[in-house]
Amino acid sequence: MNNIILSTMPFLLDGLWMTVKISLFTIFFGSLLGVVVGMLRTLDYAVISYPLGAFIHALRGTPFLIHLYLVYFMLPLTGISWLQLEAFPAAVIALSLYTSTYVAEIVRSAIQAVPRGQSEAARSTGMTALQSMWFVVLPQAVKLMIPPMGGVYVIIIKGTSIVSVIGIAELVRAGEHATQRHPKEMMMIYGLTALLYFAYCYPVLRLARWAETKFGSVRLPS
Amino acid sequence: MDWILDFYNYRVVAQYLPEFARGLGSTAWISLFALGISLSVGTIVAIMRMSSNPLLWRFAAAYIQAIRSTPLLIQIYLIYFTLPALPLLGRRLDELEGGIIALGLNAGAYMSEIIRAGIESISRGQIEGAMSVGMNYVKRMRYVVLPQAFARVAPPLLGQTAVLIKDSSLVSFIGVFELFGAGLVILNERLMPNEGFLTVAVCYLFIYTVMLWLTVYAQRHFGGSGD
Amino acid sequence: MRRVKKISKLLGLGLCALGLSVLSQSASADVLNDIVKRGELRVAVQTQGPPVSFVDKNGERTGFAIEVVKMMAKDMGVELKLLDYDWKGLIPAVNSGKADFLAADMTPNAKRTLVLSFTEPYLYSDVVLYSKKKQPFQKWQDVCKKGFSIGVVQGSSNVGLLKKLCPDTTIKEFAGGGPAVAQAVAADRADAGINDIASAAGYMVEYTDFKILDGAPKRWPLSFATRPDEHHLLRWMDNYFMLIRNDGRLEKLADYWMRGPVWKKDH
Repeated sequence: MNNIILSTMPFLLDGLWMTVKISLFTIFFGSLLGVVVGMLRTLDYAVISYPLGAFIHALRGTPFLIHLYLVYFMLPLTGISWLQLEAFPAAVIALSLYTSTYVAEIVRSAIQAVPRGQSEAARSTGMTALQSMWFVVLPQAVKLMIPPMGGVYVIIIKGTSIVSVIGIAELVRAGEHATQRHPKEMMMIYGLTALLYFAYCYPVLRLARWAETKFGSVRLPS
Repeated sequence: MDWILDFYNYRVVAQYLPEFARGLGSTAWISLFALGISLSVGTIVAIMRMSSNPLLWRFAAAYIQAIRSTPLLIQIYLIYFTLPALPLLGRRLDELEGGIIALGLNAGAYMSEIIRAGIESISRGQIEGAMSVGMNYVKRMRYVVLPQAFARVAPPLLGQTAVLIKDSSLVSFIGVFELFGAGLVILNERLMPNEGFLTVAVCYLFIYTVMLWLTVYAQRHFGGSGD
Repeated sequence: MRRVKKISKLLGLGLCALGLSVLSQSASADVLNDIVKRGELRVAVQTQGPPVSFVDKNGERTGFAIEVVKMMAKDMGVELKLLDYDWKGLIPAVNSGKADFLAADMTPNAKRTLVLSFTEPYLYSDVVLYSKKKQPFQKWQDVCKKGFSIGVVQGSSNVGLLKKLCPDTTIKEFAGGGPAVAQAVAADRADAGINDIASAAGYMVEYTDFKILDGAPKRWPLSFATRPDEHHLLRWMDNYFMLIRNDGRLEKLADYWMRGPVWKKDH
């Protein structure tokens, strides 16, 4: 049994590294997009809010595999050359879109949780709406955003296991491949996978929890 | 409407309506039961987590961390493959039971965090008011705190329910037929990914929309001021 | 009002550009020419589907399809680019042009050939049932009865086969491939499992308490596939299979990979 552990660990570790890479890119782009969408949502213009809301619900209500399929297989059919995506960029784009829906709601809740008095006071000193948002509201909102982001990160890591459909060998799929090689040790290999998962996720969650005690939390994402 | 046939052959999809109906029903029932379990477990664990008794809150915290840090698929495998015959049932859990329980326990951990935030957000004023009318802890929870807490966090609960509905496709790994598997039937028999995937997406969206309306209704109906 | 006009003008232009780009997408009617011109053959294979295409314990991608496709590229005089996907991703990969053809153990049937063009079968593969030794079954018909359960890989051709041959038996489809089915049998969650003989033989090596039941309910034809309008490529592939069948290379590969557990020893 030990040599099975020894022979599969390298592949599992490669898979873990791929999961880490994808999740890091995704958290970056997804947060960026999510912040923009979240801020737009707070503006309360029906013209913006309704389409964005529909976009968010559409992404939430459908399986991520379908988003991946659309981005990787259907976009190239339009013939536009810069939409011919390789597997890794397609995975990051699709996952970032999905993540941004969660981040957008966190951002919106955080911005709305900052007391109105703050932005009102800022405006009364002569700042424009944009300045008050950038210098007064956003910095206070950011503190509240950090704890729920831990949960978002875990969602991302869950989502990475689906990108294996387009051939990316991330952790869970690396585990499945190892079980194809050693069918009898299936439970043990999956146990190893769980352990590696845990090693990655648990510190993130602890960090989020520490941030919650330090900064307080915003009402959770809708 | 014939130009749509190039892209999405709805005539072929119509031939597979029985499979999609079965899959949709299966996913709907599994999600419903798992949701029920997760809300119950979530409430209990949330209350345990808020208790000052270390035996209770440590156990709750460990449970939450363990569930959130490991993949759902492995949790499903553990419950389905490793659990022995249960004393009350006299047999092992079958695929459906194992899947629903695994999903419920998994979602329960996430729900408990959301519910806990909801309970903690109910202001002291409400609790003190209830106490002054003579309600004990259980009565307070049941009639004052929990209804308002749930109504408050209905949106995040909906978000988590959406995740649950989509996670339910993992029960196909232990042999349960559900909506995503129904879509794969078209893919495998006809090699038509568009028809399979897009129909599945619409069905999932349908389930999600129903849940959305339920949440909006519940929030309007049960949401007190909370302040 | 002016802003709305401006925005709708831009939108209109954008849609026109999109439409034009779709029209101008030049579909080459002969991908084989393209392959030779670019010097690269792109093949979609299954990420993990032993013994046809998988990553062995040394980390190398290998398998029956891989070996055949390597030979094809060499004899074509081009480089080989292997694109691996989950089973579900193979068809979209070929349809969208990302791959020139797919090399897997796909069975052509009447409905499937409406969508893709398949080569003449390169192999006929036996399907067998397996179960734990302690079960009373001798031949596969013994388990094909009411009250028993058979595990099958989700979405494989064997699902339809079992439904036809054993309508009274409980059929359990498992996502997660052959090992998931084998695990189910090992955990007594299914009375028997069904798979191709090479995979089943592989499980016999791992699970020493398994046995293969007598008889083969079916021999499936296995083929490669490409887009329907790639006639030249299809004919080339059929011709190639004929060539390597004649000089014995195909039989050697088939014996090693697809007919028993021999492949398992080295991989």
